[in-house]
Amino acid sequence: MFEIRTRAGRVVLQVVATILIVPFLFPLVVMIKGAFAGEGVKNFTAVLQVPGFPRFFLNSLIIAVVVIALVYAVTMMAAFGFAKLHLRFREVYFWLLLACLTLPEVVLLAPLFATDTRLGLYDTYWAVILPLAALQVPFAVLLTRNFINGLPDELFEAARVDGANSLQGFRHLVIPLTRPIAAAVIIFTLVAAWNDYLFPLVFLQSPDLQTITLVPQFFVGEFSNDQTKILASAVITAIPEIVAYLSLQRLFERGLSAGAIK
Amino acid sequence: MTTTSTEEQLSRSARAGAAGGGGRTGRRGPRRPPGLPWILPALVLSVGLIYYAIGYTGYISTLNWDGISPDPQSVGTGNYTRIFDDPVFWEAVRHTVVFFVVTFVIQTILGLVFAVLMHAQIKLAALYKVIIFIPVVLAPAIMAPVFRHMFAPDGELNSVLQHIGLGSLAQPWIGQTSTALPVIMFITIWEWTGITFVLYYAAMTQIEPSILEAARMDGAGNFRTLVSIIWPEMRGTTVALGILGAIGALKTFDVPYLVTIGGPNYATEFLGTYIYRQTIPLSHVGYGAALSIILLVVALIVAVILQLAGRDREAGN
Repeated sequence: MFEIRTRAGRVVLQVVATILIVPFLFPLVVMIKGAFAGEGVKNFTAVLQVPGFPRFFLNSLIIAVVVIALVYAVTMMAAFGFAKLHLRFREVYFWLLLACLTLPEVVLLAPLFATDTRLGLYDTYWAVILPLAALQVPFAVLLTRNFINGLPDELFEAARVDGANSLQGFRHLVIPLTRPIAAAVIIFTLVAAWNDYLFPLVFLQSPDLQTITLVPQFFVGEFSNDQTKILASAVITAIPEIVAYLSLQRLFERGLSAGAIK
Repeated sequence: MTTTSTEEQLSRSARAGAAGGGGRTGRRGPRRPPGLPWILPALVLSVGLIYYAIGYTGYISTLNWDGISPDPQSVGTGNYTRIFDDPVFWEAVRHTVVFFVVTFVIQTILGLVFAVLMHAQIKLAALYKVIIFIPVVLAPAIMAPVFRHMFAPDGELNSVLQHIGLGSLAQPWIGQTSTALPVIMFITIWEWTGITFVLYYAAMTQIEPSILEAARMDGAGNFRTLVSIIWPEMRGTTVALGILGAIGALKTFDVPYLVTIGGPNYATEFLGTYIYRQTIPLSHVGYGAALSIILLVVALIVAVILQLAGRDREAGN
């Protein structure tokens, strides 16, 4: 796209890029350097030996998997309904859903806290799973509806002429054809669920249920103020995220650019 | 980024959707089966839960309630009138505006520059891309202790400044009001530039090569091409990022709460952290609910305004 013809020009660009990248690299270096400071590798073994540490990962995993399954199921169905089926007040329903995109999580705290305690959901996975899924669905439906809109109507009409009902159309057309956008939906939902902090902070009280985003605070208590252990725990919790990103890099980028075109 | 026909269709139909309507309902063909049962689960889960919660919040906002007492007293619109006399609320609004303008401008410039650099075939581009994008996937909650450590008085930033002879610049970054908000903005920019970059990078790939070729034939240099052709072509991306950034600014919670706890002396208080402070630690649940409703109304208005502004510009183009 840009042709840099002179050698000097190329060197200048390389230097500019390197200078600009330093502030992005620096916090990562601080994290790793701090984690190995003092007792070195022993920081990591100390963190890993804390009983209950794997539990945080398991909880985050359970919550993320259930949120993803829930969001995927209701999103695919709704996007199909919005894009290809008969619906009165279609846009009214759609805007009701889209308005939820602007909702800050913190607004949900008081009403959900009051409701959860009354229904006995407080301090269960559901107290986190349901609001997380509810907040992810609008964007997921927006993406998927746009995608299914792009699929030719003739495809669905032909299936109908051949005697397929909506359920069969959903199973044999929507599910296989939406794979590219489903990947984007799943990745967005994964990042949102895995990284969420506020809901677990407020709705999960027992240590057995808490998620990895609460790990730093847990270790502030556990190791009083031993920074190196806290940073080691940050490195350990960051590793799965970095590995997931590196192995799914293309999907991340494609999902993002699909999401931008609103 | 590959340009498949599906993606083109996607973007075209998406633009049609953004331009209002988006319904291609029953224009032709045989009668379609009913769709209501299909959208119902999503409506129940999302619209049901969220609107229920908003309605409940609206009710709580008329109460003087600590969150526990069984029969709270009603104060009507009392909480709302109090908000307008609350200096911390206005501080939070001011921080949100400053925060949005600064982070949006810097992220746009950085994202654009990185996208241009990566398109100019610099070396190690793959590595640089990974470094810019990793912050996007790391949870702010996980990174918060790292930033507290980095910006501490005896932290890494000050020690680097001392090593390169700028020791006079060393200061307690998160402990003083003048630098606390810039620290929060730095962290946010660090976190989100990856998204801006990836979107601009993808948008640049979508520009017709023939347009660029024509510009080059007319003798336009790289810089001229960027300013006169590439930047206007990417307006849709910029508008989308503006909406995301504005809504994101209104939602800001994790970083200021975890890195500076809204302090010192409310210097990094945002609407999100203030609602949390009122609702949970201070147990002013009614007041927090009134703040929530105001935040929600502001977010909706901002989203609609930006959406309309973006549409007008595109239409006028």
